[in-house]
Amino acid sequence: MKAAAWICLLLPLASTLAITLGGTALSRRTAGWISTLTTFGAFVAAAVAFFQMLGESASERTHVTTSWTWLSAGQYHFGFSLLVDQLSVMMMLIVAGVGGLIIAYSLGYMDGEDEERRYFAYMSLFVFSMLLLVEGANLLLLLAGWGMVGLSSYLLIGFYQERHSAIAAAKKAFIMNAFGDATFALALFLLVEHTGSLDYSSVFAAAPHGGTVANLIALGLLGGAVAKSAQIPLHTWLPDAMEGPTPVSALIHAATMVTAGVYLIVRCHPLFENAYFIQDTAAALGALTLLMAGLIALVQVDIKRVIAYSTMSQIGYMFVAAGIGTYANAMFHLMTHAFFKALLFLAAGIVIHAVAGEQDIRKLAGVGKLMPRTKAFFVVGSLALVAIFPFSGFFSKDPILAAALQRGWFGITLYVIGMTGAFLTGLYAFRLFFIVFTGEPSSFVREHHHAHHGQEGPVSMMATVGVLAVLATIAGFLQWAPLWTPLTKWLDPVAPPLVEATSAQEWATSGVGITIGLAGIGLAWLLYSAKRIRVPRALPVLEHKFYWDEAYDVLWYRSSDLVSRGLYAFVERPLIGGSLVAVGRGFSLAGRDVGRLQTGLVRSYALALAGGLAVLVVIFLAVR
Amino acid sequence: MSWLTTILILLPIGGALLVAIAPLSSYGLGSLAALVSLIEVAVWITAVGKFDFGNPSLQLSQQVSWFADLHVSYYVGVYAFSLWIVGMTVVVMAACVIYGWWVGRDRGRAYFALMLMLTGAIVGVFTAQDLILFYAFFEAMLIPLYILIGVWGGPGRLRATQLFVIYTVVGSLLMLAAIIVYGLQEGTFNLTEMGPSSSTWLFLGFVVAFAIKSPLFPLHGWLPETYRESPPEVSAVLSGVVSKAGLYGLLRIVIPKFPGPVHDWRIVLLVLASISLVYGALLAFRAPDFRGVVMYSSLSQAGLIVLGLFAGNDLGFDGAVLQIVNHGLISASLFLIAGMVERRCSTGELRLLGGMARGRPALATVVMAVGVIALAVPLSTAFAGEFLILAGVFQQGWWWGVIGAAAMVLAAMYMLRAISGVLHQDVGPAVPDSALDLRLGELAVVVPLLVCLLGLSAWPNLISGHAFGGNHAQSVIAKGLP
Repeated sequence: MKAAAWICLLLPLASTLAITLGGTALSRRTAGWISTLTTFGAFVAAAVAFFQMLGESASERTHVTTSWTWLSAGQYHFGFSLLVDQLSVMMMLIVAGVGGLIIAYSLGYMDGEDEERRYFAYMSLFVFSMLLLVEGANLLLLLAGWGMVGLSSYLLIGFYQERHSAIAAAKKAFIMNAFGDATFALALFLLVEHTGSLDYSSVFAAAPHGGTVANLIALGLLGGAVAKSAQIPLHTWLPDAMEGPTPVSALIHAATMVTAGVYLIVRCHPLFENAYFIQDTAAALGALTLLMAGLIALVQVDIKRVIAYSTMSQIGYMFVAAGIGTYANAMFHLMTHAFFKALLFLAAGIVIHAVAGEQDIRKLAGVGKLMPRTKAFFVVGSLALVAIFPFSGFFSKDPILAAALQRGWFGITLYVIGMTGAFLTGLYAFRLFFIVFTGEPSSFVREHHHAHHGQEGPVSMMATVGVLAVLATIAGFLQWAPLWTPLTKWLDPVAPPLVEATSAQEWATSGVGITIGLAGIGLAWLLYSAKRIRVPRALPVLEHKFYWDEAYDVLWYRSSDLVSRGLYAFVERPLIGGSLVAVGRGFSLAGRDVGRLQTGLVRSYALALAGGLAVLVVIFLAVR
Repeated sequence: MSWLTTILILLPIGGALLVAIAPLSSYGLGSLAALVSLIEVAVWITAVGKFDFGNPSLQLSQQVSWFADLHVSYYVGVYAFSLWIVGMTVVVMAACVIYGWWVGRDRGRAYFALMLMLTGAIVGVFTAQDLILFYAFFEAMLIPLYILIGVWGGPGRLRATQLFVIYTVVGSLLMLAAIIVYGLQEGTFNLTEMGPSSSTWLFLGFVVAFAIKSPLFPLHGWLPETYRESPPEVSAVLSGVVSKAGLYGLLRIVIPKFPGPVHDWRIVLLVLASISLVYGALLAFRAPDFRGVVMYSSLSQAGLIVLGLFAGNDLGFDGAVLQIVNHGLISASLFLIAGMVERRCSTGELRLLGGMARGRPALATVVMAVGVIALAVPLSTAFAGEFLILAGVFQQGWWWGVIGAAAMVLAAMYMLRAISGVLHQDVGPAVPDSALDLRLGELAVVVPLLVCLLGLSAWPNLISGHAFGGNHAQSVIAKGLP
């Protein structure tokens, strides 16, 4: 178990180092294969850990190994410790598995791209960081992984480094996440002060129940979670992050990293349960985000941004789940979402790859006719996203809302919002599908579409997307509440649910959910395929994404720039720099030319030393 | 009784004398100086091998009476924390000497002799256990710097030297006066024997002197001109190593010897440190050139370290020592990188730079790696230091932690701006197509520093857990560092 955990963590790091140090000695292709194989190696290690764990009884499945003391001061010790338990092994499988598929896909997608090696080094660095995040056995390592995934995300969003928009988006993502890291760190300072440790077990045992401190701790962690998972109010970086290559969007900004906030809440659920109000806030923020993102997605014209808003929206559901305490459902939705969202992004990537990088859906109209397989993949992903039986989203999304019904009026509000969101999901997902994949190809598509050796895309791309399509179709059957619930049982020792829906609530919610989803799809059909209804003009508030970007620009970027300029103009230059100019002139009076200046300096120096010293000694002696 | 510390001080000084007289070409003198600075690193490693990290008291010490009637002696030795700071010093100095050699500074004889002299003096500052000796080394450290800036600096070097001299003279005077009076009151200048003093005036004399050196707001007036006009490797020494003399002084003299005034003035110092932290970060955000970003970030980092020192608990002290070492390595690397960029583009102005990553993978990797460590990305050693310091000062009052956390965000803003300004987007007008990737000589200078930083990132506890022997900084310091 210990060996498997370390191999899983270190293989991707070794890949990063090998590709970085190898430089041009490695061919581009080799770099890609190193990255792919090490990630699959990590997946195998995670699978080994999983099967070993299957053979153990439920109470013995937590394994902590400390390898060295990473940091210490006085009585505080923070070890470099790995934790493998039911929750982390699940995350390891998702991260390494989906990661391996997406990196394999990149072999085809990034082929011929400049600086492929750098891309694969970054991808491996990301996988390492994400595994550190989920395997860390204390909150400091969690924060370390947290920051490192932020770094890899920054590097990959800004991969096309001569593009202004890409670099701007990368910086924005990093800085918004730095906000989250800062509140996260503050929560850790409080925990260090009040519990003396950051190891999960001791923190959960010693953390204060209720009261201001408990609330602040949970609030700080929630700040980190909303920044990483792009939830209100720190969500604006995610759509811009689509500047990165498409597989990056699939891996980091859909399947794995952005769901880290959900993992954090589930992992630290005792801290959130000590602060009910904050946990409810998490659910409320998730509900608001899912609604807002669904609305914005309706008017986006960039294929990747539509999917990005849908990601925000789906993570909103996971936050609702984690916030009301149905942790296994949050993790289940995290898993199925990883499959179907990666599928959607990668299918979109095949299209983008085939039409010379175009992403505007108005130009892409009708491309489905030329790409029937991709169209089929996309429809599978979309149906899973809208949660239509028997695709995976159906099994994971509805139980979240069903569980909300256990939470009184608050829960009913969440339920209504969630169902509204489901309608919006059907509408925006199939708006995208109908516009891009049905109808006659646009002139742009006819002109720019080029088949790849008679195929829709390279084998590495089509095969990995095929695997994801299968997963998106069947993975849901892992758990069908209330018929069978192995995942809930699996996670029960780590994160026992606070609420459980009754069987009737489950069935009713499924019925309502499917009807509403189909209604959304139907409306999309009327609007964008059959065109029976004219598409209304988009509201300005939606086109401006509720003005968040504008607000942050004024509140943070412009204001810090203004303060910075003000400080320079009114403090640094006149007071600090200028105060001694006068004295300096006095010195240089001694010498207009260099030769005299130097003697002048030495003489003044000696004089000042002797005279000043005498005066000071007298003063010091006199006052004491 | 051990000669090791004395060897650490005298080896570079002897090397300086040798360089001054050896009948070699400029290149030969450079190789000699580089060799001496590398042997110095080897001596330091030997010293680490002989050091007992479980023991909090002075080790590898040597005492020889000097002016017996004044109770002044040649007394040197190292504590665990000073050993780490000395280690950072010799590594950074070696990198800077080798860089000067690689660049081929003119008037090599004087240049390399001064650089080696400087090395010996700085090691002396960090190891002297007698206040008069400490002062002597402190001054001996400044004189080579005046000349290095004044002779090898940029076009504005004279004004820069003036400002630097004025500030340091004021600081030195205050310190010397405080040393004399404190020594007379105690009847000895032996730091290990001097008892605590409650004199506010003496305390302030030391604090002002060290705050100028560190520097701390508002005593940083010398910093912009000096760091901008010096040769890059001298800026690297100034901000990486020399500034640490001020922080070391706070740790070795002010905090253990003036417990009363430290208690009374804690808030003032924490406020000044917080202002430095935020003010430096904000100014770094608008600095027009790469060096400007680095120097104001140094001001910011000095503020952070002072926060740790005056947090007054184990977390703060261990974090501060770790961060002193981190910042020394980071700041030196960044200034050297600035020099490498300036050599290629003959300017460091960010609006004229950009797009250098394309086709220059080594430069891009180094700038990015050092840059993200400098902004304290979690898992880096800088993050570890910052975390300990802020967790420590948080226990003095949550607001200090909040200010520090806000500064973390600002650090990300200014550092990313500087990285992108050099590496990304359009190729700047000052970047010639012929600008090469880092050469082997440059990599040989900066990669070892980066390796140190990465190694420490894997195990920052090497320093934080081994800085005060027995690992209880607060109690060791409360005893006055016997």
